[in-house]
Amino acid sequence: MSLKKFAKELGNDRIEGELLKTIFISLFASFAILAFLYFFKLRYIENFIPKYGIFLFLSILSYALIIPSVKHVRAYREFACMSGMMIGMTIGTIAGFLSGFYIGATNGIFIGGVFGMSLGIFLGIWNGKCCGIMGVMEGIMAGFMGGLMGAMTSVMMLNDNLRIMAFIVFGLSGIILSGLNYMIYKETREMEVQGNDDAFFTIFWSLLLTAITTGIMVFGPRSALFS
Amino acid sequence: MIIKKTTLYLALTLILIIVAGFFLLSKGSPAQNVTGNAGSGSVQKVVIGMKNLNYYPNTIKVNANQPVRISLDSSVTGCLRSFTIRDFGIAKYLKTPDDYVEFTPTKKGTFRFACSMGMGTGTLVVE
Repeated sequence: MSLKKFAKELGNDRIEGELLKTIFISLFASFAILAFLYFFKLRYIENFIPKYGIFLFLSILSYALIIPSVKHVRAYREFACMSGMMIGMTIGTIAGFLSGFYIGATNGIFIGGVFGMSLGIFLGIWNGKCCGIMGVMEGIMAGFMGGLMGAMTSVMMLNDNLRIMAFIVFGLSGIILSGLNYMIYKETREMEVQGNDDAFFTIFWSLLLTAITTGIMVFGPRSALFS
Repeated sequence: MIIKKTTLYLALTLILIIVAGFFLLSKGSPAQNVTGNAGSGSVQKVVIGMKNLNYYPNTIKVNANQPVRISLDSSVTGCLRSFTIRDFGIAKYLKTPDDYVEFTPTKKGTFRFACSMGMGTGTLVVE
């Protein structure tokens, strides 16, 4: 069964064998920058951990799942239309929804929606272009929808088990992204790897996304509900 | 003993998540339920504010068969200004602190009040 083969590939030397390593590097880089920021600045902010801790924690875990998927797509560069559309849609939706959800929970619908849409559309285009304009269009639409939906969902659940829902949303997104990695593996078994981004790629994007998310959550603009 | 690459990265990732989670998921002070009583007089006047992204106080005690007037002070923002009590058919957008809803609770019991989207909620206790 190819799922078993995929699980075996996670320990081999092909690009799939680097997925777990990429997750670990991303987590390490993100937690390192957060620890650095906390030591020098964030610990002086009142109620920093109770207010932002869970959402920053889940943001970092989410980026650690999204970045390996991006790396996986970039390793093969070109896909058939159907696969490329699925890639653009999945990455655009998940990146937009999760980032919008977390920022929406701390800053409100407007800034959460804008950030979610921006990140979702950016990653949707970047990954969807592996199959041309159809994937790009799919990425734009998915990022736009996911970002807004994520922010709206979290704000509407502020007084209704938001924290539990954050874990449920993250868990489901993890399953969906794992499914995407499996799909890429199935679609590319006969293909040659076109390029393999090194650890710097993972570290750079992890640091950038974590720093931006932390900055917006803590110092960014807020809607009236959060002021 | 040779540790498989997959096992090694899984173990390291789990350790990292547990350590960071232990630090970042420590609980803050949870929002507490606060009870407020309506003022005495022919009309029971209640002014509700906003705290911890919810109505404050979020439990209000009133007397049955005596008119109740509820208004929202200036701290209440966003959709929380759209005030509803489904059980008494109340649904009104209280644009300013001078706006209010007035009704007479004829039945005793515990009822929910909320904003129109159900984001802010509280309990009305009719005694």
